[in-house]
Amino acid sequence: MKGNMEDCSDGHLVEQAKQGDVEAFAELARRCQEKVYYTLLALTKNQQDASDLAQEAFMQAFKSLKSFKQRSSFYTWIYRIAVNLTLNFLKRRKREEGREVLNESHSVNKESEDPSFSPDERSLKKELSEKLQEAIDSLSLPYRASFTLVVFQGMTHGQAARILGCSENTVSWRMHKARKMLQARLKPYLGGG
Amino acid sequence: MNCTKIEKWLSDQIDGELSERKTRAIEAHLEKCASCRSYAASLEKIHDEATSLERVEVSPAFWEGFASRLKANLESSREERKEKRALALSWNWVWSGAALLAVVAVGLYLLLFQSPQPQEMYVFSLENSLASIYQEIGDDSELEELFNSILVESIDEYIGDSEWKERPDLLENLLLWEGLTEEEIEFLESEIKKDIKS
Repeated sequence: MKGNMEDCSDGHLVEQAKQGDVEAFAELARRCQEKVYYTLLALTKNQQDASDLAQEAFMQAFKSLKSFKQRSSFYTWIYRIAVNLTLNFLKRRKREEGREVLNESHSVNKESEDPSFSPDERSLKKELSEKLQEAIDSLSLPYRASFTLVVFQGMTHGQAARILGCSENTVSWRMHKARKMLQARLKPYLGGG
Repeated sequence: MNCTKIEKWLSDQIDGELSERKTRAIEAHLEKCASCRSYAASLEKIHDEATSLERVEVSPAFWEGFASRLKANLESSREERKEKRALALSWNWVWSGAALLAVVAVGLYLLLFQSPQPQEMYVFSLENSLASIYQEIGDDSELEELFNSILVESIDEYIGDSEWKERPDLLENLLLWEGLTEEEIEFLESEIKKDIKS
């Protein structure tokens, strides 16, 4: 049964899930849970929040599956639900103040551990990656969301636009502004380049 | 060429969103603009650093827990939905059943107490109303079973409370609502449909 599910197309699983087939929906979720989770983690900086929001997004998708007409892929659709939920959650959290700054240090630089770099180079790279992470985290939500989808998830501007519910031009503009802000903030760490 | 425009195009270029024409324009501009060359190098470095930021690896146990939590939530949501639908359906059936019984009662009244003069015949159809019910049930066998049991109980309750149980001849004549006028039939049919749609 599970083997059969794995061979099914997303479209077929969506139809099955619309009939209330929990296994079919679980298979759809399994296919994109990792990408959804890591995107939400990049936005929330908190593993528990990312996990809870991903669960909530899948549940919301399951409950409103009948309204999903498959004009976009299931992946885009669930992504949109998940990102919107998370952006609303973050806005709410910011409003509520008392915002926990959870420095889980969710990212480390692979190269900072690379033995091909000298200790000095490693230390510089580590510093840059830490500063970069801080700089990305400090971007305001619309910029951070665009940056996360395009740079971390490798999406095109068009794909990110569909998920964020804005135009491609807006994503393009936000990417430009985000990079300008990062460049200004990281100038002291970028060397002579 | 305006440097501000070039900076924007450089960002698009990193994302692979720039046309060939603009790419050539950037190359030409960079050859003679040191400031934009420096900016381009900074963006490249930021992009390389950002894409090499390693994400926290999550253990397989995390995904197992995630999947089983999701499945449990999905199951309980499905059960909840089924209960709501069953409740809605049973109420629909109560109303449509009441309307149906009214039709039968009037039909029987006409049969028993009206003069047997020939009347124009009408065929009353519940086809459309039933179609709505079947659509609601879909492939859900449990819901179908529930629907059938409600149906049987309703008829049983109605028949059981009357003396007609001992009058099989009357039971055979339950479909005699064709004796109703066209106006009465239209009214009753619209009432049933309204109840089922609500």
